Amino acid sequence: MKIINFKKYLFGLVLAASLTACDDELDLQPISEETVDNAYSTGTQLEAALTGVYESFQSNDYYVWDRVLFEDVRSDNAYAGGDNPEIFQMDEIDISTTNSRVFNAWSAIYNAISKANLVIERAPQIEQDITEQQRERFIGQALFLRAFHYYNLVKLWGGVPLITETIKSTDPSEVRIPRNSKEEVYAQIISDLEMAVEMLPDTYGDDASINKARATKGAANALLAKVYAQKPSPDYAAVLEYANEVINSPANYELLDNYDFLFDGNHYNNSESILEVQYLGGDEGTWGPQMHLPPSISGDTWRKFVTPSLDLVAAFDSENDEIRKDATILFESVPWIDEYWGNSPNSSVPFAYKWRNASGWASADDIYLLRLADIMLMKAEALNELGRPGEAAGVVDVIRERVDLPPLTDAETASTESMRDAILKERRLELALEAERWSDLVRYNVAVETMNSVDDVDLRDNQPVDYNMTQDEVLLPIPQNEINRNPQLTQNPGY
Amino acid sequence: MKIKNYLWVLFLLVLGSTWAQDGEISGTVFDANTNLPLPGANVLVKNSNRGTQTDFDGNFTLQASTGETLVISFLGYVNKEILLEGQENLQIALAEDEQALGEVVVVGYGSQQKRDITGSVSTVDEEAFDDRPNTQVGALLQGKAAGVQVVSGSGKPSSGFNIRIRGTNSINASSEPLYVVDGVPTTDTRSLNPADIENISILKDAASAAIYGAQGANGVVLITTKKGSSGKPRLSFDTYVGVSQVWNTLPVLNSEQYRDLMTELGRNTDWSQYTENTDWQNVIFKDGLSNNYQLSMSGKNEGTSYYLSGGYTKQEGAVRSSEMERYNFKINFSQEVTDWLEMGTNLAYTHYSDVDVTDNTSVNSGGVLLGVLSTPPNIGIYNADGTFTSNPFQDWENPVASTDGAQRGYVNQRLLGNVYAEIKFFDDLTFKSNIGTDYSNAHYDYFLDPFRTSYGRAMNGIGRYNTNLTNYYIFDNTLNYTAKFGNHNIEALVGSVYQKYKWENSTLERRNFASDEITTPNAGSELIAGSADKAEKANASFLARLNYNFNDKYLLTANFRADGSSNFGPGERWGYFPSFSAGWRISNESFMEESNTISDLKLRAGWGLVGNDQIGNYAYFGRVGSGGNYPIGGIVMPGTYPASIENENLKWEESEQVNVGLDISFLHNRISFTADAYLKNTRDLLLNAPLPRSTGFDNAIQNIGQLRNKGLEFQLNSFNTQGAFEWQTNLNISFNRNEVVDIVGQEILTGSIAGRGEVSLVREGQPLGSFYGYIWGGVDPETGMAYYINNEGESTFEPSADDRTIIGNANPNFIYGITNTFSYRDFGLSVFLQGSQGNDIFNATRIETEGMIDSKNQSAAVLDRWRAPGDVTDIPRAIAGNTDNSRLSTRFVEDGSYLRMKALTLSYNLPESLINKMSMQNVKLYATGENLFTITDYSGFDPEVNAFGGSNTTLGVDYGTYPQTRNLILGLNLTF
Repeated sequence: MKIINFKKYLFGLVLAASLTACDDELDLQPISEETVDNAYSTGTQLEAALTGVYESFQSNDYYVWDRVLFEDVRSDNAYAGGDNPEIFQMDEIDISTTNSRVFNAWSAIYNAISKANLVIERAPQIEQDITEQQRERFIGQALFLRAFHYYNLVKLWGGVPLITETIKSTDPSEVRIPRNSKEEVYAQIISDLEMAVEMLPDTYGDDASINKARATKGAANALLAKVYAQKPSPDYAAVLEYANEVINSPANYELLDNYDFLFDGNHYNNSESILEVQYLGGDEGTWGPQMHLPPSISGDTWRKFVTPSLDLVAAFDSENDEIRKDATILFESVPWIDEYWGNSPNSSVPFAYKWRNASGWASADDIYLLRLADIMLMKAEALNELGRPGEAAGVVDVIRERVDLPPLTDAETASTESMRDAILKERRLELALEAERWSDLVRYNVAVETMNSVDDVDLRDNQPVDYNMTQDEVLLPIPQNEINRNPQLTQNPGY
Repeated sequence: MKIKNYLWVLFLLVLGSTWAQDGEISGTVFDANTNLPLPGANVLVKNSNRGTQTDFDGNFTLQASTGETLVISFLGYVNKEILLEGQENLQIALAEDEQALGEVVVVGYGSQQKRDITGSVSTVDEEAFDDRPNTQVGALLQGKAAGVQVVSGSGKPSSGFNIRIRGTNSINASSEPLYVVDGVPTTDTRSLNPADIENISILKDAASAAIYGAQGANGVVLITTKKGSSGKPRLSFDTYVGVSQVWNTLPVLNSEQYRDLMTELGRNTDWSQYTENTDWQNVIFKDGLSNNYQLSMSGKNEGTSYYLSGGYTKQEGAVRSSEMERYNFKINFSQEVTDWLEMGTNLAYTHYSDVDVTDNTSVNSGGVLLGVLSTPPNIGIYNADGTFTSNPFQDWENPVASTDGAQRGYVNQRLLGNVYAEIKFFDDLTFKSNIGTDYSNAHYDYFLDPFRTSYGRAMNGIGRYNTNLTNYYIFDNTLNYTAKFGNHNIEALVGSVYQKYKWENSTLERRNFASDEITTPNAGSELIAGSADKAEKANASFLARLNYNFNDKYLLTANFRADGSSNFGPGERWGYFPSFSAGWRISNESFMEESNTISDLKLRAGWGLVGNDQIGNYAYFGRVGSGGNYPIGGIVMPGTYPASIENENLKWEESEQVNVGLDISFLHNRISFTADAYLKNTRDLLLNAPLPRSTGFDNAIQNIGQLRNKGLEFQLNSFNTQGAFEWQTNLNISFNRNEVVDIVGQEILTGSIAGRGEVSLVREGQPLGSFYGYIWGGVDPETGMAYYINNEGESTFEPSADDRTIIGNANPNFIYGITNTFSYRDFGLSVFLQGSQGNDIFNATRIETEGMIDSKNQSAAVLDRWRAPGDVTDIPRAIAGNTDNSRLSTRFVEDGSYLRMKALTLSYNLPESLINKMSMQNVKLYATGENLFTITDYSGFDPEVNAFGGSNTTLGVDYGTYPQTRNLILGLNLTF
């Protein structure tokens, strides 16, 4: 009897020993994620954080594709195509405050900015595995990227909240930040870029696929040239200065002899490129080209997006600009109906052709964010605005010569006004479908006039399309969804 | 021999049993205790069809002869058998059945007599789902218990159920109850085998759920599987075959009408290529066959109790290609090792597989149900080259491309069970130790061939292989003490629990296949994705309970549980969850004891706190994600990004609940009635509070806000008649009101629909599941454009975002279920009605089928559309690419109330005399129809919709939901 009792107590004791659950068991660290406490200790981790900023160019719909919608579809270069009501809104310049693509663009760009802020903030604290040169270059790249994203924000919405630190608290008083003025945003962009110019190298060595992937001194100068032209009360002397810095850079930027090589998919990271979004295909591929390319290339037969407009085709034809037209647009007969191009099946319809490979939604086609021809035309613009239209014409003619076009006529080069038209048109033909058009129209202050004089006819009812644009519609609406989250924001006029 | 037996069966079925009678016998039936007569008691002659009931004075007369046996029964009393030996004027005293009052209910970490329960507990036992198709536990709870709302997101066989006990308690944390199978907590009930279930207890209030503390905020569903009972081994075999169908079709435009509409939209094509007239509903909807076989053996002898079962269930869906298949094995075993030690195990292995279909999305995204409605009839299924056809104007493939285009299969192998030991230190002190596991290994195969679909051609084929491994274990130890001192009864429990979860996921995708011969990813040349990740969660808890009962009159229960969760930071890790409840059995008071009408009366009241940590793992950390990679120099560089904002103060979401209840039984428990009222305040909500996106984040997890649910529940059970003809009625009805009390002034929009914005709004003062949108005005007869009413009350064609308002509420006023069970001799009939009243549905399907903005086929409703100035109609004009006429508005809000015949079962038990000859214990044949009819004004396929699945905030949206099906089954149960 006693032995039995002994046994049962022993058995119970063994089981009861496990009764003591330990608090340590609850102290679990994430297995497949880092935390803010261990993710930013070394130089390689800081570089990973910086890589994460670059990755916004790939992962955000805005940089993958939507910037083409905002710049080319919204303007006179292209129709929406496809089947998406929210993109039709852009085409029609009738954009609702609840348009989700507008909200996505806002969110995605700010997300990229927050990642850049993190690098700028963390870099000075890191001690392990980092040289001073690396640290400086990491900060310089982050400053450039932050400026690049703010430049896009200010172009799309005007003055936006200027946030240059990572979020420390979720308290409404800390996160509900009102809009800064357009001037303040541009001032921040310029200050970031001027610092970046000092910190960034001309090149990172001989490998073009690094030099065109990372921000360089050339990229910072190029963006400064564009920013000084785009900002309220432009400073053309500065535009000229920074454009010349790019053109005369030790990085040796040069126009490609063959315009088509820019887009044929075999010459990315070329000498003309200053900064481009990198893709390798596969899981580092882009779905953008699949949205544009015709059935013969994309392999599917649904109606494609971003259909080049009659106006754009006419612009190429008026200059007999065969080379750039053929590099920009591909015509193909398609089974679907396009209401601007024929309105019947098997009509020949144009396709955006600056990406050439769909590769099953995983294309290796890159995106140029900054390239030399753009900066040369910015130089021409500056020269012209500084009252030197003749010198400006000289620069434009270099661009024209490459695509076998004659120099500008005397009538075109006669005055600053006539040169202004010539440069704007040259930019349109050179940079069509590369997400520059809307910004150009706005910078030249001709967006309303241009859009309201487009002669598009909807063939379904043979009615002319009236874009009915107002000056307010130069800017996008602040997304309603963001105003709900941040009542401090004021809506842009007209929405 | 066998054939002979079956012939016998047939012969007797036709003839019925023989009728032998001579003398007449009479007598009186009365209560042995009070000597009062018992009216309505049943008196039957054993092994015959002769029987009667006692009259008001307890008297009866019937035909019987010497040597026969009378069986006297009355609900709430022990049956009595009397051999007739020539007695006259029988005086039959029936003793009250203590057992009937002593019905045992499974509660957390133990069981209690029903009469002693002070919390709010509903039970559903085997009988309630015996004759229903053996699919899922969730389906079997629907309409059976007050306060339990079962919402199906879809009628497809692979779909799970969303269960809400007393309303939705959270905005971002899970609102699903905790399931505990034989002591092992789990969340996935989809692969449990209902045939193995003996009963289900639902712990609804905090007082009964508090023993599960941090896991109990949404209520607890305790599932107990079958154990061996009788001395003699029992073998049973159950089977059924069935068919399921979509019970409703919706009218759509025919080829010619479609062509007219397209012409109106300015779309022309060579119509001679599109001359088919395909009825897509006919192509996609089919009769889904199901069959089920279950074999089990159970018994108990010399301290050994066992239950073994094996089963197979296969169910095809009513929508092409969908199906579910399940193999189950189960063993429950226990052994009394010595007089102080018992050990046992409950183990279940399930092999579950299904083929899903895409629903709740538009045809653009491969949604089958919207594809059925919006694919024009003008095209056939296949092109001449074997590829799938598309819309004439856009490459939206027909719905068969979605159902048949890709091979896809989900397989889940799961082991769920425990091993336990129970030591009796003294008669009144026992210790129980339990180790349980829920281990599931799932994989998903997907193959899209490179030829037949447009997507497949663009990708040159896709092969995917994903795995998900979940490894959960629980280790709990409890010490239980029971004692009785005079009129004082005490039960005390203390214990500790440790739980750990580990998840491991991997994914692999390859593209570029040369053919469709090999469907596994190895045949694809291009690696698109290959990754794996892991996560863990741990909970530690200490619990205590005290039950005190004075003289069966005054009942008191106190619970306490301390819970620690790895989801919260060191400072806020532990939460403390107490509860108290009390009961007063008034019927045991001396002034009530004599009552003949009221047989039991109990008042209950309880208060408690329960918690919720069902939020993402590692929630409090500022997590930094990987995978933000980017190619630099042709090499993919590793990149990171901040994934969440650190919140060291993150803590338990806490739900404070008050419950008062009443249990009352009349007429010797013939009628029993339960009423409960509750108030639940959930505080410190684990809320993914939206942040301005300018912070770089979408939201941050915080403890802010408060939600309230309050409600009333009634349950009535009545044995209306007894005897040869028995009629029993079960009725339950529940009212719940949900209100967002406080979310610090924020508004959260969820449920994005078809590029028209979000339809659900979370706003203070409103319930979760409020619809948000414009107020529909009508159609302007001049232009055919829709106008809306703005917030000034004026008509406008272009309302601004500020003109949106609350336009509906997806929460029902009440839900109910009524079951009537009839039996007459060997025949049984069960009629189960279930319904929901006063809820709105946002019929977003109609946005797709009445929007008229593109080349989708439309519903027949658009035949009334505006076409020329002067047309007066409520359907606006067709206008390509413009959503102004189909904004989210009151136009699409419909009354979603319904009453449906959830189940109708007719059963027949072969007479005992016959089955005895076959040496069987029971043979039952039955036929069941589910969803035979539905009374509703809702215009869609089915009023049970939930396009956003388990969402707490977006409820009642129909966006191409796979409808509930009408099911017919024929079944056979054999017991040897």
